[in-house]
Parts: sequence; structure tokens; C-alpha cells
Amino acid sequence: SLHIIFINVQKIVCFDDYFTTSQHTGHVIVQELEILKPQKIELSCIISDIPNNPTHIIGYWKKNGNEIENSKQTVYKVDKQRFIFKRIFNIQVNDLGNYSCIFSYLDKQEQVTFLLKVPVMKDKRDKPIVSYVGDSVVLDCKIKRMPNTWQWYKSNGTEKVLINATADPMNYKILLEKNVTKLTVLNLTEEDAGKYICSAVFEIKSSESHVYLKVLSLIEPLKPFIGITIEVVILVTLILLYERYGRSRNDSSVDDSSGTDGRRTRQRNLVH
Amino acid sequence: MPSTTVTSLGYTPPDGGWGWAVVFGSFLSIGFSYAFPKSLTIYFKEVQEYFSVSYSEIAWVSSIMLATMYAGGPVSSILVNRYGSRPVVMVGGLMVGVAMVAASFGTTIMHLYICVGVIGGLGLAFNLQPALTIIGKYFLVKRPMANGLAMAGSPVLLFTLAPLNQFLLDNFGWRGSFFILGAIVLNCCVAGALMRPITITAKPPANQSGGDDDGAVGKTDPQAVRLIDGKQRPERAGCLARVNKLIDLSLFKHRGYLIYLVGNVVMFFGFFAPVVFLAPYAKHQGTDEYSAACLLSIFALVDMVARPGTGLVSNTRWIRPRIQYFFSFSVAYNGACHLVCPLLPGYTGLVVYAVFFGLAFGMVCALLFEVLMDLVGAQRFSSAVGLATIIECGPVLLGPPISGKSFNNLIFHTTYMYFACGVMMLVPGLFLFIMNFFNYRWLKQEEHEKKREELPMGSARELATMEETKDSEQNIKLNQEKQLTDSDNKEP
Repeated sequence: SLHIIFINVQKIVCFDDYFTTSQHTGHVIVQELEILKPQKIELSCIISDIPNNPTHIIGYWKKNGNEIENSKQTVYKVDKQRFIFKRIFNIQVNDLGNYSCIFSYLDKQEQVTFLLKVPVMKDKRDKPIVSYVGDSVVLDCKIKRMPNTWQWYKSNGTEKVLINATADPMNYKILLEKNVTKLTVLNLTEEDAGKYICSAVFEIKSSESHVYLKVLSLIEPLKPFIGITIEVVILVTLILLYERYGRSRNDSSVDDSSGTDGRRTRQRNLVH
Repeated sequence: MPSTTVTSLGYTPPDGGWGWAVVFGSFLSIGFSYAFPKSLTIYFKEVQEYFSVSYSEIAWVSSIMLATMYAGGPVSSILVNRYGSRPVVMVGGLMVGVAMVAASFGTTIMHLYICVGVIGGLGLAFNLQPALTIIGKYFLVKRPMANGLAMAGSPVLLFTLAPLNQFLLDNFGWRGSFFILGAIVLNCCVAGALMRPITITAKPPANQSGGDDDGAVGKTDPQAVRLIDGKQRPERAGCLARVNKLIDLSLFKHRGYLIYLVGNVVMFFGFFAPVVFLAPYAKHQGTDEYSAACLLSIFALVDMVARPGTGLVSNTRWIRPRIQYFFSFSVAYNGACHLVCPLLPGYTGLVVYAVFFGLAFGMVCALLFEVLMDLVGAQRFSSAVGLATIIECGPVLLGPPISGKSFNNLIFHTTYMYFACGVMMLVPGLFLFIMNFFNYRWLKQEEHEKKREELPMGSARELATMEETKDSEQNIKLNQEKQLTDSDNKEP
């Protein structure tokens, strides 16, 4: 059955501002649409305020940069000011992409592009997660729209290997919770390091994101630790030695100069 | 400035020389004490994910650390009174180091609470108090300058630790970072090594000019003093007397100290909250994350310069005698900044606010302990600061969450929060100003009366003290006779 989704009026690009303010041609407007499942979608472009007020304009549609056959049509005015140019598209698994409505008047050509794609996971970690041999680590992915399910893969060079938590419960735990998924990798070894891919499976297509895992041995942090500890011990020893050297120099000078008096004042020296 | 502080030490502080090395040591210790808990927040997100706990549970680590640091004040003071600054600071540094290393092997969040929170906090307390105390022992004339320089350690170390912690987190994960931080914090032991105990040459007892000098000679003297007028003091003060030997509880009768405490307790409710909420407030007003972070950097930079600057200014001969007024002014100035903040438009307004607030914050921090030293004198400072921090513990911890509750609610509550903080700073500022005005007056009156009593005696004090010692010797004789007659009377 025909299932039409009208793009929310607010999402339709209104050209009022565009035509009156824009000074240059070839200006492209882009609108992103998140598609979760195969469906029929009506894309509408509303054009208004064209100078010289023509009675009609010519428009056509492009998909991924190529003109769609037989899409050219003459658009007539709806009311005094506006032209509405629309078309219904049947979006199936392979039909995601860029759809543009292009229309010309006088010598100019204007274009609005709709980007139809699956929801994208925006905040990708660019820094790797660091963990240690024998420890465990939690990798997570989140997305705005709820997918049908989540899947985790480990990347070995060019190929992806699916991670099956039920088959290997000693090493992996997968938590699925609507918009968030968490992969816990237990008993880490150095082979567990690498690229992990989380895949949000939607009916129409999957959306992927990746995170890098680095596994360090316990010796790694030990090196700076020992370095800094040695530095501290050296400094403390130097400071205390300097003080003892300074004090022995003072004592010897006092002995030379004031004899018995010096000894008496030294007895009265009290540490504060 | 009360003139009794000069004689209460019993010696003339060096005011230079090795003192500047001590200032550097204090700079490090104070810096770690204040900046370390704040810089740990960088690890929170990762630790939170690792242990699968909520953010507030993780934030408790920092709160417990801060609470223990403040509550450990009196313990620290007792130890400093007994052993001096150096061993306490070195032990404190070791404690924090061991705590961080132990925390890096932690398996539950409770493990972190105890290691980082309790033991780490206690170790930091053992760094803070002695560092402040030893400045008072090495400096008198240049003390405000020394205090300002030492307190600058906090923003400088925060500025250094924050990016360092991020670097460690990126390269070693949170466990490795805690491990390495344990070594970094051992540098507090270096700071402690610099805090050379000061050796004083005590003057012969006949020329001593007052009871306070006895205190300088050592811990045996409170008993000596008590022997002289022992019978006059009631014996029910047994337990209290023992506590008094460790930490000076008579401070609670000191008028200036009480004024300081009351003013500070109210002030701390509104003191730290604006710092915590500067970035979130900026984001609320629509600035992006990077610019909001820039605001904090501007604030920290101004703070860094303001602290030694304030020290320099308060060392001048115009400000030094009236330093209590200067402190009250800076508290009130803080309040004025907060009250004006919601009225300033846009990002430039926030930048201006950050600059003025940084200046105000630095001024108050630089003077916070200097005025306390000025009030009670360097001798009792150790006990004073310990008691003050444990009382300030409450408002310091409650301040941000209380303000935070109002912040998280409706939009206009953010301006409400700034107004509240502003008022909470203005009121103690004015209170301190007025009370110190009276305090100065009363102190002047007391000095006049003292001088009037001394004048007819000619070469005043020495004669007076000689008479006092003669009187006390007579008292001892009288008491001994009384004892004998009493015991005679008691026997049936």
C-alpha cells in the first residue's frame, strides 16, 4: 500500500528568505533526513518571491547528481506568490542518497538537496581507550534513534569478525539498551587491542561507528613512576645533605671564634 | 596590627635567605593540596564508565578528599605543634603517594573512596597546614608577600596538572595515570625537605618580656606555667588541659579569631560555587565549549598574578597596618562582582566578569591566611588554622551543591544563584569590616591602658616582670604553706 510521509512543513525549505537575501547564484541548500525503514517519501520544494513574477517555472529532480528520467515538469503557481514542486520517492534499501530539486527561471538555476541517510553516530572517539593486560574494559556506542538491534565487530585488517557474546561469555559481555550499547571485554590480552566496530542495525541499512582499544602491559606506567621516584629521592637527599654541610660549616666556625660561649649558645639552640 | 605578635615568637624571623626556599616548598605543598582534588575530575568520566556508576557517586571521591583535607586540619596542627613542619609534610606526601598507588589497583568504587578520598585527603591536610605555619616562622616583615607567593601555588599547579592529567589519561588510562600520579605527588616530600626547621637561640630567662615567650622555649613550659598558678586553676580542667597542650583551644576566647571565623564561615558558602559554575553558566548563555573553557583559563591566569600582586600590595606600609580592612574589602568586592555578573551582556561581559572575579578570588585567597596570622600571631597560628579549616569544612562542601540545586532548575535561577552568592559575600565583607573597626579600636584602648600602667615604672617592662616573678615566687611559698596547713587541717 502507498505509505506517504509528508515532510514536516517546518522541514520544507522556504525560499522566501533565500531569494530576497541571496546575491549569488549556484547557491545550494542542503537538508538532512534520517530514514529508519523502507518507505515512500514525498519531497516538496516551495519556491516564492521570484523576481519578474513569471507564471510558471521548469523544474526537475536529480538523484546522486544524475537527472532522473522524465522528472522534468512545468510548475504553476499555487497562489499569488508560491510554486510548489513535489515528487514521491519509493525509498528502499539501495535508494538512500542525495535527492535534489532543481528549477530554472530566466537564466538562473537554483537547487535544494535532500540527504537521505540512516541516523549517524556523531561523537566518535578519536583517541583510543587504554587498558591493561588482565583488566577489563567497557566500550560503548550511542545513537539518537533506536535501532532494531546492535552488533559488535572486531576489525582484523580489512575484514570484520562478529563478536558473539553468548558463545564466549568468559571474554565478552554485550549490553543492549535502546539507544546505547556496551561491550565489556574481559581478561584482556595484547591481542585484544585494535579497532572495534559497533553497528546499529536499522531496517533499511546499518549505521557504524568505531573505537580503538590499546592494551598495555603493567610495565608501561612503571617506567615513569620509577623515574620520578628516583628524582624525588635524589632531590631530598641533596637538600638534606646541603643542610648538614651548611650546619657543620657553621658549627666549625663558631668553635673557632667564640670558644666556651659558642658551646653555651649551642646548648640553648632549640629546634622549632 | 597587634604589636604582641612581635614578641610572641621569641625571636626575629629571618625574613629572607633560606626563607625563600621555604616559600617555594610551601608553594608546592599548597599547590598540591588545593589543585590535586580539582584536577582529578578529569578522570571521572572514564572511572565512572569503568565501574558503571552515576556521576554523583564519582564526584563523591573529590568531595571526600576535600572534606578530609579540611577536617584533618586539627590533627595536622597537633602534629605540627609537636614535631614541626618538615616531618609532617614528608609523611603527608608519602601518604598521598601510597594512596594513589593503592587506588590504581582498586576493584570497587569504595576502594577509591577510601584510598583517594580518606587517605589522600589526610595526606593533603598534612601538607597544607604545615606549609602555612612555616611561613609565619620564617617571615614577619615580608610575610604578606611570602603568603601571596605561596598561595599562588594553587592556580599554577592547577594550570599544570590539568593538561598533564589529560595527557596521562590519553596515554595510560586511568589506572596507569593514578599510578604515575602517586610518584608525581611524592614531590611534596621534596617540598617538605625544603622546610628546614628554624633553630632559635633563646634569651636567658631573666630578661624575658612576657608569658608568651615561655611558649617559644618548648613544650615543657605549659606545665611550668601551670605549676606557678596551679592551685588557682580548678582541677576539673584535666581533660581539657590535655587537649589544650596539643592544640590551643583558648583561641576560641580570642575576639579577633571569632570575628574571623564567623565572617569566613558565611563567606565560604558563596565562595567556590561561582568558580564551579562559571563554565556551565557561560554555556547556558550560549557560548560554545571552547570559549567557556577559555573563560576558566582567563580566570586562572588572573588569579595567578593577583595572588603575589596582592601580597606585594599588602606589604606596603599603607596597607599592612590595616590589613583586616583590606581583607574585608576584597570579600565585599567578590560579592559586588557576583551581583553585577548577571547584568553583563554577551561573551565580552563574561570575559570582563572572569577578569574581575579572578582578581577578587586571588585577593581573598592570598589574604586568607595572612590575616589569620596577623590576628593570632605565628605562635598560635598552627592551632588556629587547624580549628578554622575544620569549621570551614561544612560551608566549603555544602556551598556548590546547594547553589547547584538552584542552578539546575529554571533559567532565571542562575541569576538568582549569582545574586545569592553576591549577597553571601557582601554580608560577611561588611561584617568583617565593621567588626574589625571595633576590634582595632578595642585593641588600641587595651594598649593604651597597658602603657598607662607601665609609664610610672620608668624602664617599664623589665622592672614589671621582675616584680611579677617575685610575686609568683611568693605565691608559690604561700601556696606551699597553705598546702601544709590544709593537710594539717584535714588530718583529724
